[in-house]
Amino acid sequence: MLFRILKNSFLKRPKAVFLVFLSIAMGAAVATAFLGIAGEVSHKMALELRSYGANILLEPSAAQGGGFLREEDLPKIKTVFWKYNITGFTPYLFGIAEFSAGGRKERGVVSGTWFAKQLEVPGEDISTQGIKGIAPWWEVKGRWPEDADEAIVGAALAKRLNVVPGSDVKSAVRGRIQQFRIVGVVTTGGYEEEQLFAPLVTVQSLLQRQGKVSRVLVSALTVPMDDFGKKDPATMTRDEYEKWYCTAYVTSVAKNVEEVMGGSRAKPIWQIASAEGALLKKLNSVMLLLTVLALGASATAVSTSLMASMAERSPEIALMKAVGADRYQIGTIFIGETLFISLAGGVIGFLIGDQLSELISRTVFNSTIASPLWLFPTAIISAFIVAIAGSVAPLRRALLIEPVRVLKG
Amino acid sequence: MSSAIIETNGLTRSYGDICALKPLDLLVPEGEWLSVMGHSGSGKSTLMNLVGGLDRPTSGTLRVGGEELLALNEDGLARFRREFVGIIFQQHHLVPYLTAVENVMMAQYFHSVPDEAEARHALERVGLGHRLKNRPGELSGGEQQRVCIARAIINSPKLLLGDEPTGNLDNKSTVMVMELLKELRAEERFTVIMVTHNQEVAAWGDRTIHLDDGVLVREDRLKVEGKAG
Ligand SMILES: Nc1ncnc2c1ncn2[C@@H]1O[C@H](COP(=O)(O)OP(=O)(O)O)[C@@H](O)[C@H]1O
Ligand SMILES: [Mg+2]
Repeated sequence: MLFRILKNSFLKRPKAVFLVFLSIAMGAAVATAFLGIAGEVSHKMALELRSYGANILLEPSAAQGGGFLREEDLPKIKTVFWKYNITGFTPYLFGIAEFSAGGRKERGVVSGTWFAKQLEVPGEDISTQGIKGIAPWWEVKGRWPEDADEAIVGAALAKRLNVVPGSDVKSAVRGRIQQFRIVGVVTTGGYEEEQLFAPLVTVQSLLQRQGKVSRVLVSALTVPMDDFGKKDPATMTRDEYEKWYCTAYVTSVAKNVEEVMGGSRAKPIWQIASAEGALLKKLNSVMLLLTVLALGASATAVSTSLMASMAERSPEIALMKAVGADRYQIGTIFIGETLFISLAGGVIGFLIGDQLSELISRTVFNSTIASPLWLFPTAIISAFIVAIAGSVAPLRRALLIEPVRVLKG
Repeated sequence: MSSAIIETNGLTRSYGDICALKPLDLLVPEGEWLSVMGHSGSGKSTLMNLVGGLDRPTSGTLRVGGEELLALNEDGLARFRREFVGIIFQQHHLVPYLTAVENVMMAQYFHSVPDEAEARHALERVGLGHRLKNRPGELSGGEQQRVCIARAIINSPKLLLGDEPTGNLDNKSTVMVMELLKELRAEERFTVIMVTHNQEVAAWGDRTIHLDDGVLVREDRLKVEGKAG
């Protein structure tokens, strides 16, 4: 009977029903689209943010007496538990050198590193590691070094030595001499501008530190720190430690890397890590807020159209009451109606929203996304929420209708 | 317990300054057919609404079928209406988008469970076996009123209220409706209270009370027989 009442009532007022349906479908569509891309946006934003620098610094542990790390350990970073979260890394070997170019002499730091090294690790995909990957904001006038005797020089040091791309610079370390061809001048906005960067092997032989590196910068995708992540792993129970280890906190990823680099100590670079976490959290809050606002807007629209049809419906509601319907029975009819419409609105809204999120993802991020499985129930539930929220005021109005008023001749 | 189905003491209903019903003491024995007459605005509908549990008194007591209506909350009154009362209005007040049989079933639905066969039977009893699937707009005034009667009796009420049920009907339809009600009452033995302007319609009852400006001014006992019970 309820079904018959609903069916006929729908058929009687197709316009009003369609309006309600439309409001609910739009709310569900926007919720679907936003929630569908929220995860994607966070991921993409994390990748973009990641490009602003490394967040883990590996140094020789104090026990090593401030010595060196071994270059041969580096490929192991690509095999750790969190390897897919590690987007790149670069080794550095530092030394003080006497630079001379065109008659000028300057003391400075010579830094051996990888620029864009093809790294082959058995069992893993070939990857490119080096500064180019983890410091994309470095601005190189000229080009990156390719040969063993090519180098780029920081802008400040270049000024002091008065060199430009094409110049030669002689570096002397304890009597050993290495001639570099400058192929680029780099601006970073940081201390790197005082240094000369050359391929790691060349600097190793200049400094007589074959196979050694002084530090490694690692760039990893991590989850924002929370209270649990801040706990000291040393004080954790076995289960807690397991959970901590299996969560991509910057600390647990650092620990993970530290384990494979012999004699190393890994330190999170907190500033960046926490700024990133906070930013992503904000971003997620904004997406959520927008979703809630969109749902609120469609609930308002639902409420308005239901209210508008109230004048037309009040005689019928009063009649139902006169015949003996109590508040629950009137409520059942009302809620039944909106749930019915919202089910249809939720399904259609999901289909539209899914397309919408794909469109957004394609145009904004240039990638396609697979919508997660939970998105469909989420769309239906948001449609229900919209419907229920939108029904509150009209239902209250309906319950206040006195049977006697409307029936009076 | 008295055999009175309705018993009022000092029953009043006012709308602000307007006193639609002055303190009224009324006793309606079970099974009686009571006619209520009076000019327009004399408080007839007000009385019907109070007795039918559609409205609440301003003061006084109102016992219907052993229940003090003042003590019932909104849902209690709704239950009272669906279990105890059948109402027929002057305007037919059917749900326009439901068919005749669905309109009857709606009353069943609110009462307990809809039973289409039973609803159909009720419409057959009022002579509408051939109009089951028609919507109110497709029925004549007399036919609509008979749908209302079928709906009013479907849950076997103890009390049937009619507020000028024949007010909009021509003579022929009026007689038909009255005969139908008489027949049904003989079978179902409900108590009838019927508001009317029409002396002839009032004469179908056992007793007539006259209201004037909210006051019971006169009472005529028309027949001596007629107590069902
Ligand atoms: N809802 C209301 N608000 C104000 N006055 C009302 C209301 N209902 C009825 N009245 C007044 O109460 C008096 C009795 O009305 P009613 O019982 O409908 O008369 P009748 O049915 O005898 O024509 C009239 O004066 C009418 O104007
Ligand atoms: Mg009246």
